[in-house]
Amino acid sequence: MNLAHYARIWLTSARYSIARMLMFRGDFLIWTLVELFWMTVNLLMISVIYRHTDTVAGWTKYEMMLLVGTSLLIQRFLMGFFWSSIFEMGRNIRSGNFDFFIAQPGNVMFMATTRKLDPDSLLNSLVAAAVVIYSARQLGLHPGAADIALYVLLVGCGVIIHYSMLVLCIAPAFWITSAQGIEGSYFTLSEFSRLPREAFRGVANVAFVWILPVVIVSNAPASTLLHGFDLRLIGWLLAVTAIWFSLAVFVFHRGLRRYTSASS
Amino acid sequence: MLATLNKYRAAFSVGLQSNLVYRVNFAVRGFFSFFHLIVVFILWSAAYAGSPAIGGFNFAQTFTYFVALLVVQFMIGAFNEDYQISEEIRSGLINQFLLKPVNYFGYRFSIYLSARLVTGLLILVPLLVTYPLLRDYLVLPAEAWRLAIGLPALVMSALIQFGIAYCFGLMSFWLLEIQGLVILSMAIESVLGGQIFPLDLLPDGLFRLSQYLPYYYQMYFPVAIFTGRLNDPAAALTGLGLQACWVVIILAIGQLLWRRGLRLHTAVGG
Repeated sequence: MNLAHYARIWLTSARYSIARMLMFRGDFLIWTLVELFWMTVNLLMISVIYRHTDTVAGWTKYEMMLLVGTSLLIQRFLMGFFWSSIFEMGRNIRSGNFDFFIAQPGNVMFMATTRKLDPDSLLNSLVAAAVVIYSARQLGLHPGAADIALYVLLVGCGVIIHYSMLVLCIAPAFWITSAQGIEGSYFTLSEFSRLPREAFRGVANVAFVWILPVVIVSNAPASTLLHGFDLRLIGWLLAVTAIWFSLAVFVFHRGLRRYTSASS
Repeated sequence: MLATLNKYRAAFSVGLQSNLVYRVNFAVRGFFSFFHLIVVFILWSAAYAGSPAIGGFNFAQTFTYFVALLVVQFMIGAFNEDYQISEEIRSGLINQFLLKPVNYFGYRFSIYLSARLVTGLLILVPLLVTYPLLRDYLVLPAEAWRLAIGLPALVMSALIQFGIAYCFGLMSFWLLEIQGLVILSMAIESVLGGQIFPLDLLPDGLFRLSQYLPYYYQMYFPVAIFTGRLNDPAAALTGLGLQACWVVIILAIGQLLWRRGLRLHTAVGG
């Protein structure tokens, strides 16, 4: 199995998703609006807080907007490329429909997590990117091509980290088939990525900044754009990406061994 | 009269039993909500580091607001009543209620009450467990008028919460899928209902405007009375009047949708 083969499989899935979107245009419109509204909610919160204070943990209004925009951008990519597939994976494991993926010619994790795209989220990633660009302009930043490339790389790492977290949130379905609502834990964790790292103190700092990757995932790219290249921060993010992705792959395959197909 | 009451008491009891089956799910949900409180705590304490008062309130008052909001949400919030109603319409299960001398609104409302009894009690568990940590940041004013106006406000908020979910559920008579619409309105509710930030932090004009919308009375209004964000009894009484208007309007819309929807309903399945 080579890379070109997987690229072909992925393109076929993408084509299928787009055909599906064109079939359900009304749905597409509604879900695009839903995401747009929720993104606006986050930005409104920032605007309201900054009406009453100048800095939050040392971050000014537009620095914070840039952070939230980055966090939204990463989440839109996750939603666009993986969310539907991984979310349905949990249900399929419970119902036994997961058999379908095991029978396919390819890596099971790849097949099961990349099957569906959500074009509405991909469209909204443009809005999130616009928030980042707008904030950067308000701050008078002039990033060079290298800075932008680095930012894109770090956002890519962020997507991999979120992907790993989501797989880890869903994978318990292999062990406890009755667990419902565990998907919600992912959203709870992702809330942390809209906060600046400097706001975390004590136990919260250890748990959410050092142990879980939920804060660093958005703070590293945002800080890089704001304050330039910082080897320690970038090394940290790359290491965290490698560790969490490996962990997700390991847990997924452990779970796969436990999979016993449909019970009925 | 007594027979009618007995009917809905039976529905209440069935609802209670079926909700107790999901007690673990609700407990997990309550547990995750407390993670949300951690986010609130970190964000707002960082915001307060720069200024001792925001909108005239200190950090403890604002944090108390968010804790109270969470508790009230589990006590009166409509969680998935809209989906349940929608499912019953789509699957045809609703047909059985059309043939029985049962008022569907009354039946659904009884189940909603039993569900909130379960979730309302379950949220007290994580609250009691974390109370030693939260204690220093909780401040509740203790004037008697707050209870006298706050309790009826809370009851009417429950009616508004359920009424809106009921209306959305009934839209299934016309629409195949309501999930998108529900989540769309949730985004609006979360802002205008004060879940993202206390509404009084909005610019003055917008805050005044929000007081004429139903969202204000879904949760913010009773919570603001209890946590001391609303300190004028006269204004609270005016609010109570406006809230009563919204209750009537929303229940009337629900009744209208029910009548119109039934005419369209083709009773598939069953």
